[in-house]
Amino acid sequence: GVFAHLEMLEAQAHKEAVKKEETDQQEEKLARLKARVEELKLQRDKLRTKVDLQQGQLEKGRVVLDPDQTSPQAALEWKIKSVKSMLKIFYLTGISGKLTKQGVCFCISTAYEGTYFDSYYLDLFIKPQVWIHRHSIPPFIPLEQIAKKYLKTDIKRFMAVLSDHLNAYVGRRYQAEQLQEHFSDWIEGALQRNSLCNLLVFNYTVARESKAFPFSVRLLYGDLCCSLPTEVVVSCASDAPASLAEMAAAHSDLFRSTALHKAFRSIQGTGEMGN
Amino acid sequence: MDTDVFRVYEEEIQSLEEEINLLAEQYEDSQQESTIFSDEEILKSIKSFQRGFQGDSIGCESLSNLKAQLESLERDLSFLVKFTGVQFTSHSKKTVEKTRERTVQKHRLTGNFHSLSFHLEFQLLEMQNKESVSAVITDLSITLESEENSDVSKFVSSTEERGDLLTFFRSLSSYAEWHVHRRRTFQHFK
Repeated sequence: GVFAHLEMLEAQAHKEAVKKEETDQQEEKLARLKARVEELKLQRDKLRTKVDLQQGQLEKGRVVLDPDQTSPQAALEWKIKSVKSMLKIFYLTGISGKLTKQGVCFCISTAYEGTYFDSYYLDLFIKPQVWIHRHSIPPFIPLEQIAKKYLKTDIKRFMAVLSDHLNAYVGRRYQAEQLQEHFSDWIEGALQRNSLCNLLVFNYTVARESKAFPFSVRLLYGDLCCSLPTEVVVSCASDAPASLAEMAAAHSDLFRSTALHKAFRSIQGTGEMGN
Repeated sequence: MDTDVFRVYEEEIQSLEEEINLLAEQYEDSQQESTIFSDEEILKSIKSFQRGFQGDSIGCESLSNLKAQLESLERDLSFLVKFTGVQFTSHSKKTVEKTRERTVQKHRLTGNFHSLSFHLEFQLLEMQNKESVSAVITDLSITLESEENSDVSKFVSSTEERGDLLTFFRSLSSYAEWHVHRRRTFQHFK
């Protein structure tokens, strides 16, 4: 009846009101975004002009400011920036840190070839003797052993040995990860490793006379300061052709002397990788 | 209304913001590099405030904060220099790229390890993803004082090829020892 009709009209009007509000909001948002773009463009153009001007001045030669013309504040701020930037770059050397009330907080940076990875912290207190207050060294690194041997007598040596352990660990971990990332097609099943990454066990397939053969590898990194293995066992199935045993021996030598991912790359290059 | 329209504007806003950050950083880098205050000038600045700053008390307090901050930073730096043996004598950087996830900078670094001087140039790419920051060195060039020894040149060029800056620093101590020993031996026979 009439009421039903009225209700319908009311509902329709409500729907249209909501729709209009939505449209208005969207138009408002669009207008805001457009305005922001224009604002940023202006800011960007201003900066560009500033930088170009500065470049022009620099090309004419360095500018040394007369200290009478500049405030002591500017001089100090400049020096602070300069020292801060030197401190920041120190992490590239492998050891950085800062002095604290009770001693020093060291930061050991790790890297493998050109890539820097995690940094590890060591908060040392120096009274009554040097001791480790806090640290972020992973539990599988023999920190206590190393500290017992060197910390109180030769702190530089302590830091060097700890840094060797951490860098070697990061190097081994990187090789295993690279293997999983780039050679997963030839790795059968999962690559097994412990948290210290000094024991790796996995299987891969090689091709010989258009047939695929599985090889299984066990790598033991006996020297925790080294990222190359001390023991390598590459084995093939007992019923595999004799020539395969030669290949296994060659691969074993390769793994002993070359980083894992690089070794795989070179095996791939010889066409021995199987499917 | 099409949400694609919004996305286009939002992407443009992000790209403009990144461009602005890059330009601002380039301006800062150049400003820092082109201004030089000698150590005497810095000392003079510190002394001028100690003598009794003519300005307002707020200025005095902020100068004293700056002085304290500078002294603390210099203590940290001189400790690191003493502990590692590495001292940087000059450093300049140029920001080449700066987005939310990556920063690329070209660095020139001169320094010495005890009496052995080196000059380094490299490109540093810093990437920030959800959990970590990692840094990659490329285009590394190392100049070491007195590289006449072929073993050393080989070491330097293989280090350069791999971009292995960390190993360079970690090997400096062994190279420096050898270098000092060699110099002493040479002097002895002069």
